[in-house]
Amino acid sequence: MSNTRVREDEILEGMKSHDRRSLAKMLSLCEKAPDMANEILDKLSKKTSHVIGITGSPGVGKSTLISTILDKMNGKKIGIVVVDPSSPFTGGALLGDRVRMQSHATDKNFFIRSFANKGALGGLSPSIYEACDAFEAFGMDDVIIETVGVGQSEVDVANIADTVVVVLSPDNGDEVQMLKAGLMEIADLFVINKSDNPRSQILLSRLRAVTSGNKEVPIYLTNAVTGEGVERLLDDLDDRFFQISSNGILVQKRKKRLLHHAQSIVRREIDHLIQNLEINGRNLKEIRNQLIEELCKKDDQNN
Amino acid sequence: MIKVMIAKPGLDGHDRGAKVVARALRDAGMEVIYTGIRQTPEQIVQSAVDEDVDILGISILSGAHMKLIPRILDLLKSKGSNMPVFVGGIIPKEDAEKLKALGVAEVYGPGAPTSEIAEQVKRFVEHSST
Repeated sequence: MSNTRVREDEILEGMKSHDRRSLAKMLSLCEKAPDMANEILDKLSKKTSHVIGITGSPGVGKSTLISTILDKMNGKKIGIVVVDPSSPFTGGALLGDRVRMQSHATDKNFFIRSFANKGALGGLSPSIYEACDAFEAFGMDDVIIETVGVGQSEVDVANIADTVVVVLSPDNGDEVQMLKAGLMEIADLFVINKSDNPRSQILLSRLRAVTSGNKEVPIYLTNAVTGEGVERLLDDLDDRFFQISSNGILVQKRKKRLLHHAQSIVRREIDHLIQNLEINGRNLKEIRNQLIEELCKKDDQNN
Repeated sequence: MIKVMIAKPGLDGHDRGAKVVARALRDAGMEVIYTGIRQTPEQIVQSAVDEDVDILGISILSGAHMKLIPRILDLLKSKGSNMPVFVGGIIPKEDAEKLKALGVAEVYGPGAPTSEIAEQVKRFVEHSST
């Protein structure tokens, strides 16, 4: 397509000179040709942005909260990745998170990009690592990643984000839901949104009860529509980034992210091999062996 | 994978048509970004360029199409984009002709079959890439 046919070296140079259009092309490359994207990103120096993951069930107010966060940012450069689900039947997607953030569409400091999850089960897009690297190479201060509306087990955001914010709404389930493993465990911060709902106080006390003990996770009450409580959240997010930068946690998180990035690349290779694999009457072991053999050949091709 | 943006400029809030078309294009296997209503031409064009979409669909029923659509086309040009643009809504025939002369790929009115829109959108994208 004409819009994607920009030469790679043009993208590289454009990224170096902070050209917005080149970032747009770079992000397309992350989706369409991630290996090439990684090669370009490898040649760019990257800022260590604060990568903030925002996750929670559909409709709790993740997109609205991000929009309100952007309202209150002064002068910071922010990249925003919003992920919505692809159809398991047609592969199509309706990406609607932008609707809540359009008042920021023309702001020079912000860059919003929508991704479809392309069937990935963890709540993110298969190209999320490349996209996050691209924003860091562009020199963003913060990168905000909004996951698809998640249930209980979509926890991949914890592999990429320096800080995970789990957003809850007073209409969520009872205490037993909060005791379950998965989503509730990955929170570095909880946000109870829609704080104007009187039930938010009940949720707050329940959440306090189940989270007290092992790890103290701060809880924030916000009303993303009016902006109430959001400033305190932002101040504490900045403080946290400063803290994890100085106490070594960030270094650990980034090592983990690099491993998961590598894992996502290998997974992509495997997915590709499986799509093109012919069974031809072979048994399980033979197929396994052939997959591993083909995977090793991939290594040769790249060198 | 075709990436398309459906945007609604102008002051009318009649978004049923935009949503029906967005849904139809989704079901045709495209990734559809929906902007919501009451968008300025500047918001629409910056979003379309940032999202690097293959094609832009504009829905307008307010009657301001002769003001807003040329503005969108100009802004796209000024940003160096040659993405195709299609329009849907209540557009008088003579205005539709004028818009097409300005570079709009197609103008769809009430009753346009969604399957036909999806087919044509695919074709516009293919043509723009050659």
